[in-house]
Amino acid sequence: MPSNPDVVLAAVDVHEVEHVYGTGRDAVTALGPISLSVRPGSFVVLVGASGCGKSTLLRLIAGFERPTSGAVRVGGREPVPGAGAGVVFQQPRLFPWKTVGGNVDLALRYAGVPKPERPGRIGELLGRVGLHDVAGRRTWQISGGQQQRVAIARALAGDDDLLLLDEPFAALDALTRERLQEDLRQVTGETGRTCVFVTHSVDEAVFLGSRVVVLTHRPGRIALDLDVDLPRSGVGPDRLRALPEYAALRTVIGQEVREAAGGR
Amino acid sequence: MIYTQSGTAVEPSVVPVGGSAPAGVPAKRRPRRILVRLGALAALVAVWQLAAVTTRNPSFVPSPKAVWSQLILTSTTHDGVRGYSGHYLVEHLGISLRRILIGSVLGTAVGLILGVVMGTVPWIRVVTEPVVTFVRALPPLAYFSLLIIWFGIDETPKLWLLTIAALPPVAVATASAVYGAPIGLVEAARALGATRRDVIRDVVLPNALPEIFTGVRLAVGLAYSSVVAAETINGVPGIGGMVRDAQRYLQTDVVVLGLLAIGLSGLLIDAALRTAENRLIPWRGRS
Repeated sequence: MPSNPDVVLAAVDVHEVEHVYGTGRDAVTALGPISLSVRPGSFVVLVGASGCGKSTLLRLIAGFERPTSGAVRVGGREPVPGAGAGVVFQQPRLFPWKTVGGNVDLALRYAGVPKPERPGRIGELLGRVGLHDVAGRRTWQISGGQQQRVAIARALAGDDDLLLLDEPFAALDALTRERLQEDLRQVTGETGRTCVFVTHSVDEAVFLGSRVVVLTHRPGRIALDLDVDLPRSGVGPDRLRALPEYAALRTVIGQEVREAAGGR
Repeated sequence: MIYTQSGTAVEPSVVPVGGSAPAGVPAKRRPRRILVRLGALAALVAVWQLAAVTTRNPSFVPSPKAVWSQLILTSTTHDGVRGYSGHYLVEHLGISLRRILIGSVLGTAVGLILGVVMGTVPWIRVVTEPVVTFVRALPPLAYFSLLIIWFGIDETPKLWLLTIAALPPVAVATASAVYGAPIGLVEAARALGATRRDVIRDVVLPNALPEIFTGVRLAVGLAYSSVVAAETINGVPGIGGMVRDAQRYLQTDVVVLGLLAIGLSGLLIDAALRTAENRLIPWRGRS
């Protein structure tokens, strides 16, 4: 339970964090103060309207930025990009000068996987995100959904315990988005990875999260912190979405998100 | 050359609609294009012939036929004379091309390194940018005098001249491309565990490659236009030296022949560079 995080070492620990952009008169407090502890293996979704600082929080956890005050710990240490967490961004951010396989290969190289092992791992990682026979393609020759799958495969290459996702499906069409949500739910369930997922979609939050955290409008603070007790396996996506608990959660969280946004 | 695999000729079946190779002309329209170009060339020669006939002064406008026979003369040994000034036309051209090649390669190499440093270290950029722009604005002939004083009249000052001419466009293009590396891709690489060096090698440089290549094409063009200047002093053998000598003796047909040789080889080299560009940088304009 969020209120009792000391049972096991938290995968992510955000302690009294505040983040301010700019200085002097132009200073804008984007976030906090906020405290959040993420248990290993959980799937935490941060929901909120745009401008609530949810992406800022993710960037702090990824180590791209340092908090103005407070402390962020990932696996007990101060986060550094490329050490401890895989990151998936809203845009796939693939390297167009590399083939699809080349993109994953690069990630494996950075992760220190020796060259002879890489070809096998590339196939395995792409297969895990549902891609086959695309390793030799150019990145612009595959669809947007496939590109985002490659980005996920690339983020999984590091074998980090933590996966950070910043609205990864926001730019995709509805059908592709649902497919990727389902596959992500399965992949993270199989690999037992801790996930922190940022979205503005209530439906996405309920479907993916084992815990949903609603943030208020700027500066982002926790408005609601809810464990989602929906079955994580053994239930198909359509049946899951049809459960009455699912609808109830959607209503509660949706209301909270609207209230937190303050009528914006 | 890590980026060559698969080249431009990507299997047409996997290329999405509208995704054919850049600057490609539909195959069935190609013959027509060639025909149009040949027609334009024929018209040009006709106008030239007309000008030669009406002026009736071969020292002013030599006829196409006179230039053609100079091509034969400068390419053969006749009356015991080997080509022009003891060298065949191809030898003159070859020596000049060699100078252009060495100058372009040196200028590109130094320009590349300088550009990367300028693009990554802000204070070096502040210091070197005015210098590079200054050198860029100078006509090559202006600093050639200085190079002659420093390095004599043999090969060294010529290579220096071409190197200095080729360096600025590559440096400027590289610096701006490196400086403007997309933050999104740099972050993505860092998130995957790339070190600073990895980021430069795997993201910043490949991303800059299209712009660098444009810089190289400019550099080769500048080296090309500077070679005639470089060969104004002790330039034989060399196509520029040949043209200059011919001008002294009012051999206008040889002058025109030399100009044609320079222009045509320049066209061929630019075409080769463009082909190389399409092969090496298939991702140009995609991202």
